[in-house]
Amino acid sequence: MNGTVGGTVGGTVGGRVLREDAWGKVLGQAAFPADVRREGQIYAVAVRSPHAHARIRGLKLDEARKAEGVVAVLTSADVPHNGHGVLYRDQPVLVQDHVRMAGDPVVLVGAETLAEARTAAGLVEVDYEVLPGLFDPEEAMKEGVPALHPEIHGSTNIVYHLPVCKGNVAKGWAEAEVTVERDYQTQMLDHAFLQPEAVLAYVDERGHLVVEVATQYAHYDRGEIAHALGLKFNQVRVKTVSVGGAFGGREDISLQIMAALMAWRTLRPVKMENTREESFHSHSKRHPMRMHYKTGATRAGKLTVLEARIVGDAGAYASWSPNILRKAAIHATGPYEIPNVRVDAYAVLTNNPYTGAMRGFGAAQPVLAYESQMDLLARELGLSPMELRLRNICRVGSETATGQVLTGSVGMEECLKAVKSYLGEVSAR
Amino acid sequence: MKIELTVNGVARILEVEPEERLLDVLRERLHLTGTKEGCGEGECGACTVIMDGKTVNSCMVLAAQADGHAVTTIEGLGNRGSLHPVQKAFLEEGAVQCGFCTPGMVLSAKALLDRSPHPGKEQIAVAMSGNLCRCTGYDKILRAVERAAGEVKE
Repeated sequence: MNGTVGGTVGGTVGGRVLREDAWGKVLGQAAFPADVRREGQIYAVAVRSPHAHARIRGLKLDEARKAEGVVAVLTSADVPHNGHGVLYRDQPVLVQDHVRMAGDPVVLVGAETLAEARTAAGLVEVDYEVLPGLFDPEEAMKEGVPALHPEIHGSTNIVYHLPVCKGNVAKGWAEAEVTVERDYQTQMLDHAFLQPEAVLAYVDERGHLVVEVATQYAHYDRGEIAHALGLKFNQVRVKTVSVGGAFGGREDISLQIMAALMAWRTLRPVKMENTREESFHSHSKRHPMRMHYKTGATRAGKLTVLEARIVGDAGAYASWSPNILRKAAIHATGPYEIPNVRVDAYAVLTNNPYTGAMRGFGAAQPVLAYESQMDLLARELGLSPMELRLRNICRVGSETATGQVLTGSVGMEECLKAVKSYLGEVSAR
Repeated sequence: MKIELTVNGVARILEVEPEERLLDVLRERLHLTGTKEGCGEGECGACTVIMDGKTVNSCMVLAAQADGHAVTTIEGLGNRGSLHPVQKAFLEEGAVQCGFCTPGMVLSAKALLDRSPHPGKEQIAVAMSGNLCRCTGYDKILRAVERAAGEVKE
């Protein structure tokens, strides 16, 4: 390379180009939010609930307010409009009385140094009345179970239900000669992006509130900050600095509003930085899904019917749950043509950590169920898993369970044939 | 307490707290923010720096333990006009995505090539195993280290 780096190899389209932001990253110059600072900045720390479900009976803040270096101690009373959320504003900036998950922020402490803020946060006393929690989504969706957000969703914890119906399932079962019925379950996952959430918030020389943050959704952040603080959009500026991984986990509000609130109330630049442990409490998780699948096929290996029930654990706040369970429902049949389908997908509130966007956005979980069903059916039919798939995959002209006719770009058959030689004994099994 | 150390070739005399970590000294006192904190417990390697030729997790080293030692951070490696071979290889291989692990990755690779200019694949994998990346899947990072090894002069 003669010591030079750069340029495009291979033309404009299809060529290899160097990623421009990689320069700052290999040199250690790229600024993530924890790396930016401002003269006179203070540090804010959130006091979070250790309980998954509780009523707050009272707060004792005197010791924290008197502690060395403390600039402000803020509670829900300091938040003009105490709610945020991508679909429903169901998540409090600071909890007033109803804790719905472990890690819900209750009090915000601002101090001259991070150590002083942490010390003062440790002096905050919250009197919790611990309530029984709802941790099983199938329990939480039953009638008569206490509702977690009655003011938004009424008496139910079901925030979303999408039925997908195609053809006539009774006919499909009449045609089926082989049936496989199983339950599947996926687990909750954290994105574990490498850069823990951090924010720098300050009021600039024009009197505007500036929030520097690693976010996937700057315009949404601006709207939620403005709403919570009772400001106009044009008074709030969100600046996206380098984002240290996200994978869907930075689509919701984490520290943005808390840092902005502290800056607006104290007129000091405010830094908030999560530890890894706080980060786990601060953002959404991947929805665990329980999937009951019943699939029918003829002896000749043609799928005739699928019935599925998918229950997604939304956790304490809705976040993107309706969209994610919608996607799970739409993808529930996988890349296979099935003439008769009934799918019911639900998103259910519980006292578990709230769940939201994560790579695949609900399309990833049903894969476990529909592909396992195909393998089990292949075994029942004495066909290779590859052959059963080739007899049922979507091709150009196929109609999906939601009635979409695929008119192009359907690469399943080519893909299966391309990988066949790599599968070796698996395909022959 | 007072400590004396060399950071990127510059001698430093600093007054630090007993509980302060080398990571805090670098980031908060010297504003060398290329060194990142990802976990604070020695798992992720984002805070990797080179101390006397060996990589350490700077979140697991007390400032006092760095007294009398020489530390190299990402800021001590190269610049736009003169990249270190490892930095250049990371750029050219497309081994950088979000970039939060990159400084630690680059320093682990540099420390490896300094002591072993022609490492095998296995040796590279072991040397890089203390640095977590959540974006790339590691493939291009490992290839970048191999590429750098080809360019490093003995």
